Parts: sequence; structure tokens; C-alpha cells
Amino acid sequence: MSTTTAQSGLARARRGLAPGGPGGGPSNRKSKLSSQTRRTFFWLLLPSIVLLVLIHGYPLVYAGVQATHDGSLIDTGNFVGVENFGHVLSSPAFWKAAQFTLWFTIVGVFGSWLVGLGLALLLRTKIPAGGTFKILLLLPWVVPIVVSSTAWNWLVATPDSLIPSLFRSLGLGTPLFLADPNLAAVMVMAFKVWVSFPFMMMMISAALASVDTTVYEAASMDGASKWQQFSQITLPLIARSTYISWILMTIFCVNDFPTIYLLTGGGPVDATTSLVVLAYRTVFQDFQTGPGVAIAFLMTLTLVVVSVFLYRQIRKSSVE
Amino acid sequence: MTVQSEASSNFSRRGFLGLTAAAAAVPLLAACGGGSSSSSSGGGIKFWDMPWATPAYNDAAKKITEAYAPTGSNGKAGYQIIQWNNFYQTYSSAIASKTGPAVSTGGGFQAFQFEQQGQIAYADKVVEALKKNGQFDDFLPGVLEPFKSDKGYVAIPWQLDMRVFWYRKSLFDQAGVALPTDWASLLEAGKALKKIGAVGFGTGAGAGNNFGNHSMIMMMVNNGGGVFTKDGQLDVMNDRNVEAIEFLLELHSNGIIDPAAVSYTTDNMSAQWKDKKIGYGVFQAGAAERIGDTSGDFAVASPIAGPHGDKGTLVFPNNIMMYKNTPSQESSEAFLVYYMGQLKQLWQQKLMAALPVFKSITELPEFASNANNVKIVKEWQPIAKTFAAQGSTLNANLAVLDGGQALNQFTQTILTGKTDAKTALQAFKTGLESVIKK
Amino acid sequence: MSAVLHAHPASGPALGVAGPEKSRRVLSDAGLRGRWWRFVLILAITAIVLVPIMVTVVLALTPGPNSTATGLTLENLSNVFSKTLAATWLKNSLITTVSTVIVSVAVAAPAGYVLSRGRSKAVSGYSLLLFVMQSLPIITSVVPLFILFAGLGLVDNLLGLIIIYVGSTMTVATWMMAAYFDSIPVSLEEASWIDGCSVFGSFTKVVLRNSLPGILSTAIFAFLLAWNDYLVAIVFLRSNEIFTLPMGVQSFFQQNATDWSGVMALAVVMMLPPIVVFATLNKYFSVGGIGGSLAGR
Repeated sequence: MSTTTAQSGLARARRGLAPGGPGGGPSNRKSKLSSQTRRTFFWLLLPSIVLLVLIHGYPLVYAGVQATHDGSLIDTGNFVGVENFGHVLSSPAFWKAAQFTLWFTIVGVFGSWLVGLGLALLLRTKIPAGGTFKILLLLPWVVPIVVSSTAWNWLVATPDSLIPSLFRSLGLGTPLFLADPNLAAVMVMAFKVWVSFPFMMMMISAALASVDTTVYEAASMDGASKWQQFSQITLPLIARSTYISWILMTIFCVNDFPTIYLLTGGGPVDATTSLVVLAYRTVFQDFQTGPGVAIAFLMTLTLVVVSVFLYRQIRKSSVE
Repeated sequence: MTVQSEASSNFSRRGFLGLTAAAAAVPLLAACGGGSSSSSSGGGIKFWDMPWATPAYNDAAKKITEAYAPTGSNGKAGYQIIQWNNFYQTYSSAIASKTGPAVSTGGGFQAFQFEQQGQIAYADKVVEALKKNGQFDDFLPGVLEPFKSDKGYVAIPWQLDMRVFWYRKSLFDQAGVALPTDWASLLEAGKALKKIGAVGFGTGAGAGNNFGNHSMIMMMVNNGGGVFTKDGQLDVMNDRNVEAIEFLLELHSNGIIDPAAVSYTTDNMSAQWKDKKIGYGVFQAGAAERIGDTSGDFAVASPIAGPHGDKGTLVFPNNIMMYKNTPSQESSEAFLVYYMGQLKQLWQQKLMAALPVFKSITELPEFASNANNVKIVKEWQPIAKTFAAQGSTLNANLAVLDGGQALNQFTQTILTGKTDAKTALQAFKTGLESVIKK
Repeated sequence: MSAVLHAHPASGPALGVAGPEKSRRVLSDAGLRGRWWRFVLILAITAIVLVPIMVTVVLALTPGPNSTATGLTLENLSNVFSKTLAATWLKNSLITTVSTVIVSVAVAAPAGYVLSRGRSKAVSGYSLLLFVMQSLPIITSVVPLFILFAGLGLVDNLLGLIIIYVGSTMTVATWMMAAYFDSIPVSLEEASWIDGCSVFGSFTKVVLRNSLPGILSTAIFAFLLAWNDYLVAIVFLRSNEIFTLPMGVQSFFQQNATDWSGVMALAVVMMLPPIVVFATLNKYFSVGGIGGSLAGR
């Protein structure tokens, strides 16, 4: 790789987003970024900075105020320090919701990834009408949740719905998919995977599209098995994309409100109450603004910790 | 190794600049086409209403609002529908930014919540005006009193959402059992209905469905109980409540409550009624029209007596409130008095499922020709109590009780049957204590 | 968008000409059988996955409670257009969504480029900040945003909605763009720098013109987010004639009752534009996929 050009720092930088990766220390690199490049970078970032402050920064500060006060949505109320946080952290409902959120996220992320990966690989091969299938398989992501949740409800809610009837005719009893706490949790997760896998499929397809196919031909000439090709060529090549899609899906799952709320409302008896559903119900149904926003904050904090961990993985994966 | 390098593309710099220009232009166009109606009229009264019934209802209410011809210096009124979804958020954010309504309908206890936050204009002058024009004496008994607080009338009721028992004649015939008159006979009827595969106590507590919550409190009230004492103190663990919940658990253990009811949405419930799966259960006025069966097979039952001979049910008096943030308080009041006077049109046009608050409307031929309506007014309205039972005045805490997590969890626990009455009520009490303001 | 990426010949410089020729000949028979086997598999998967969608479509075509029609009918669909402002909602949704997509990509692509290429502490810090700040759920942001936007007169107005949608798609879109730019070797840019191109020049001329699949994925993400949102719209939009389609769907929800035939019919209307978009853009996605037929065999 040539390092003689003026932008050599830039050139070496492409492998990673953060300092501390391969290719020398940050100070070394920084000094090589010309001031003109830095200026260009600033202008390129500016619109996103403005939007970030306006749409995310301001509400974040506002939420910080709400979380440390005892007011309502309309009136800030009195400053209570970290009382709301203490209140939330000592409530069993919070920990129960945290636990459900964890499972919901794990299943949501990896379930949708596995399904998406499988389908992306399958659709990458020559299949008659492959393009049509690709479009059809994106539909779960397209349908508004308020509609698809109703369709799912229609399929499973009552003993005479389609799926329970099917189970009955197969001699498997009549499972109460939404009324049994465990089955309801399974249903919510299945629904989430159903809604999310098209996003994963699209991300992985885009990543696969940029992979040079001749690599496989070379590998197969060398006698590599299909599994070897997959694990040693495909996966590393889409690793970066994969990590990013995991991080994004983690956010989508943790922050997901409508999927759960519209299918089960968080029930039965809290069985499917995630942190964001708990935050919503605390703010808008119990009218406890401070504690509810505190829940959202704690959730965000956890999310950030988890994603910084995943973020490190991205950096590692940049080292090829 | 580079696949992309060969890619030909006419994604030129000019194209990109064009794209950016378009990006800048489109929102501007949108802005021109958009915000036409954010602030309807200067000095006018903003009246916000909910989709209480079919779109025809909102059309009629809009017509009434726009037909309002103010006298003197009072302003005209503009009509705005607010969707149910997240409505409390919509009202709160509008009020907080001073873009809220001057007059509105809304959630059952919303007026008391906003009163607590100092946003409500009291309606005493409206009540005075109603006294003068005779409408005050036209209110059905006990309808207006719950709105009177120490500081004045918080809102004016305009329709009553009543919980009543409905039944399927054909299923009772098939089961060969008489309609229940008290709890003991409800249990017997339930067992008989169970034998023919029908549900003897229909309810539901799935996503967005409050009927389950209401049926819990309804049975407490039916037994002379309730969540509050007469002077408004929390009183969850009283004997009458324990008895009522034990009875519901007995119904559940006998299979009289559908084990899937805990997850039923209102639509699941309606479908169960329509498909003749439910023989007897909790529903509201106008249910026959709603499920599309007005043959008479699906009808309102008479109230039943609890073990101590008490009768009772729940009513939610929906109300119209005025806000302090108004162009003119006199205009708000004048409009509200006018609107109350026009309400009968809505029942004349048969747009409302709920009951009217005025005797004269219940006597209209359009209303009285419906046997179910007449039965509810005659038999259920006199015994109906609000969520505040055994207390009598409404307050902001009832909003927490109505939509909050404590009652919902309690209901779902009972409907899954894996509990005993006292444990469940104790958890309910603890849950309420942590969210109810003294 | 007229840019087209061509599929590449399967042979790379690393391989002799005989290699692919030979393997292709061996493959032909088994390959054909494999193709049909895979076809049946994907058909089965698609059929199962689409059951809820089929429910929606069937419910949309089922006559409503007050209808005299029997069997399946287009009555609900024609009703939503004749009795509601569905056509206006569709137009509003298109304006909002298309604007969101364009602005979002226009903001995210340059930012993503910096995230991908820049390597200072500030840039990586910003990358993390993007992430952290957007992690707060939208339900807690709506009220403060409403108060802010009410002050700016951007309530009950599509522009206000677009700004929020761009803001909320922009963070993820930036990450998605950065991820894609990472797959474009810097060596390509270096050549242009030697030719005297500026950083901005190489970004637009070299990187962007090779990023169509990445741009399209990002655009689709933004499209669907803006197209399906109701949590923001429900608080920000008031007037029937300003509604987007998801708000139109909400308008069928009455107290304790819902006009499901209307909801489902409108849902079908809502599904169609994304399908058209996907169908149109599909060929741009499959770049590389065609040549990759050996990969998943």
C-alpha cells in the first residue's frame, strides 16, 4: 500500500473507525491528516451534527431533566436527584422486564440474523424467480406493525383461530398462544424475528454483493469444502457488516415498542413486558413521568454498554 | 481484487448536486402543501373530540360545532378529531406547548388529571347556564354530582359508557338453563353453558382491552365493594372485594371463564360473541349493533344480585372539559352550553352507542325504540357506580386505576387463575399505593 | 437514479481461463437439479412467511359488516378511496417518505464517509455519540420534540415530520453508509488523489459512484422507517388532510371498536408502494449475486 501521497494517513485509516487499531498510534495519524482534509471532514459531518443536536440531543437533555424531577409531562416539578433511579432499580418489575428484554433481544438479533443469512445465501444462488422471492420476503418488514400484529392475533388468539385449530387437528391439544405466559413470550419473539429478518437479509445481501465471487472459485479449485468456503471466506468477508447489523438490530430490539405492545400489551401478567413497554406504561398509564423516563435512561445506558462491546468487535474484525 | 472498480456508473457529481438540490426543494414543497390548518381561526375556540363512534359521528359533531353562531363578542368554534392512540401524549404535549384546545372531550378521567396540573377551567358558570335553560334538571340522576370538586365543576358529562351483562338466548335455550338472577345462579348457568361448549362469563384482558379490568371492579361493585372508601381512601382488601374475587376465581376454576380470555382483545371478544361462543358476559351499550347481530338473540340481561343482595355495575361518565388556555373563557363557556343543547341530534341520528346523560334524550323515539337501550336506562343506570366506588366524586387517581399497570396485572392474574383472592388483592393494593397520589 | 452496476464476468485475473469453464461443465446436471430443489425450498419458506400477509389481504377483500357483497370483493379498497382521504394520505406519505429518503441519504453519505475514512479520536468519538444519542426510545422524545416544534410552527405540518424522520433515520443511515464505504478500497481513491483530486472530489467521484448498493440499502431503511411510523405522526399530525397513511390507519380505530375492513384495505394500499420500490430496485441489489452462483451451491 502506497504511503507516499499526502493523504497517506487517510489511506491507512480506512481499516477502522477508531484509534488504537493497526497502523500506528493516533497522534502519529492525526498529524498526517492535512488541515484541509480535516476541514472537508467537518463540512461533511456538519448536517448530521445539526440534526443530532436538534432531534436527539435536545430530547435527551429534556429526558434527563424529567428523570431527575417528580413532575408530569406538562410540568417539570421538583428536583429529586437520583430518587427515581433508586425507586426503579429497587422494583422487581424493572428487573423482570430487563430479563425479558435480554431474551427478546438475543432471540431477535440472532434469530433474525440466522434466518436472514440463510435466505440471503439461498437467494444468492441461481433460483428460478429468485428476484420475486426476494421482494416477497421483504414484505414482513413493509407491512405496518399495527396491521401485522392484528394478522398474527387473528392466526393464534382464540381456540378457534387457524393455528390452534391446526394443532388440534394434529392431536397436539389446543395451545393458548397468547394466554400462556411462556408461549406468549415465544410468540412475541417469533413475531419480532418475522418482522426483522428482511432487514438482515437485505444487509447481508448487500454485503455479499460486494464480495468477489472469484474467491470461491479459487477456493473450490483448492478443494475447500462448502462449509470451509462459508466459514473461512464468506463469514470473514461479511463480518463487518454482520457486526454492524447486530448492533443495529440490538437497538431495534431493545427500543422496540409497537411489536410487543400491539401483540400482547406486555401481558399476560408482565410475561412480555420489556423495558421500553414498562417505561411507556409507567409514563403514560401510571402517569409516573420521572420513574418512567428513568427506566428509559437505564435502558439506554445498558444498550450503550453492550454496543460499545460490539463496537470493539468491529474494530477487531477490521484487522484482516 | 476490486469488483467495484469496474462498475460503470453515471452517478456523476452533477447528478449528486442535482440530488441535493432536489432534497432541499422537496421539503419546501411539502411545507407549502402542508401546514394549512394548524391554527384554524384567530380568537376562535378550538374544540377537540375523539372518535367515539363511527366516522359519521365525527361528521355530525363537526357539523354541530361549525353551525355554532356565537352571540356578542364570543368566538366561533373549530372542530378537531384526536385519535385514540396515545391521546394522553397528544393532549399533554399540546397543552405544554400552549397549542392545546379550549374545550375538549377525552379520556374518562383526563379532566381530573389536567385539573390536578392546573390546566382546567372550572365549569360552574356552564352549570349555572344549564340551570337557567332547564337542562340541569334534565340530567339523569347521579350523573353530574361526581364532577363537583371542592373548587368547582371540573367537567360536564355528555354520555355514559356503561358496563352491563349481555346474553345469548339461543345458547341458554340449548343449555336448558334459566338466565341468572344472582351469583349462585350465574355459577349454575355457567356450568350448564360449559357443557355445551359455551362461555358463561365472557370478558377479555388482551392488548388494549379494558373490559377485563372493568369486569373485576364491576363484580366488586356488584357485591357492594369497590376500591375506595366513601371518603376516597384506598380500600382494596375489604371483605366484599375478597368475596367477589373468590367468586371470579371459582368461575375460572370451573372453566366458566375462557382460559384464553386473558389475551383477548376487544375484537377477539366481539368475534367470540358473534360466533356464539359466549353465552353470558360483560359488554357495553350498543354491543348488538357493534357485533352486527340485532336479531334479538343477543340481548341485555337484567342486573344480578350478589350474595348479600347488592346490585351494581360500573359507569364511565364521559365528559367535556374547558382549559385555562383559551382565547376567551366566556367563549369557551358559551360554546359548551350550546354544544350540550345540541347533543340530542347525535342520538336522533342513531350515531351513539353510549347512553345519553339527559332524560329527554332517553325518551326520544330513536333511542326508546331499542329494547336493549331502554333496559339499560331502566335497570342498569340507577344502580351504576363510578370507578370511585364506594366514594362518589371522581379524581385524578382514577385515571391511574383505569389504565394503569396495577389493575391490569391484577386482572390478568385473576384471569389466569393461578392465585388466591387475598394474595392477588394484596399485590393489587401494593401496586396502587405506589402510584396513587395522596 | 439511472446508475447501473454491471455484473462482472466470473473469471478473475487469479484464475486460468480453463478453471471456471471446467467446473461449469461438471456442474450443469447436478446444478440444474439443485436449482429446482432450492426453488421448492424457497417457495415453501416464502409461503409460510407470508401467511400473515395473506390474512391481511384476505381480510381486506372480505366484505365489511354492513356490506351486501359476498365472497371476495374490492369494495373495501374502493371505499377507502371514496369515503376517506386515502388518496391525499397516500400523496402525503409519498412526499414525506421520499423527502426523508433523499435528505437522509444526503446527510448520511458524507457523514458515513468521514466515519469510514477519518481516524481521529474526534471522529470515532462522534461515531459513538451518534449511536448513544439515538438509543433513547422515541416514545420519550416525542413530547419534548413536540414542544420544540410547536415553538417553530412545525406542528401539523409535513415539514416538521420530515425533519424528525431525517433526524431519526440519519444516525443508523450514517452507520450503514460507513459500513458500505469500508468495503470500498482506499487504493481506488489514492489513484484519484494522485490525479489531483481533493478529498471531497474522490468522495463524490470515486466512492459515491461505486456505492449504489449501499445507498439503496440505506434508502430502503429510511423509506420504511418513514413510511411506517405512527408513533411520531400520531402526536404531530392533527388535520385529516395532512395525515400520512399510518395515521389514516389510526383513524379507523374508534373507542373499543375498529373498522378492520378499512384498516386492512388501507394496509394493502400501504404495502404497494414499497413493493414497487423493491421490484424496481431489485436488479441493482443482485449485483455480484449473479456471479456468485457457486457460493451457496
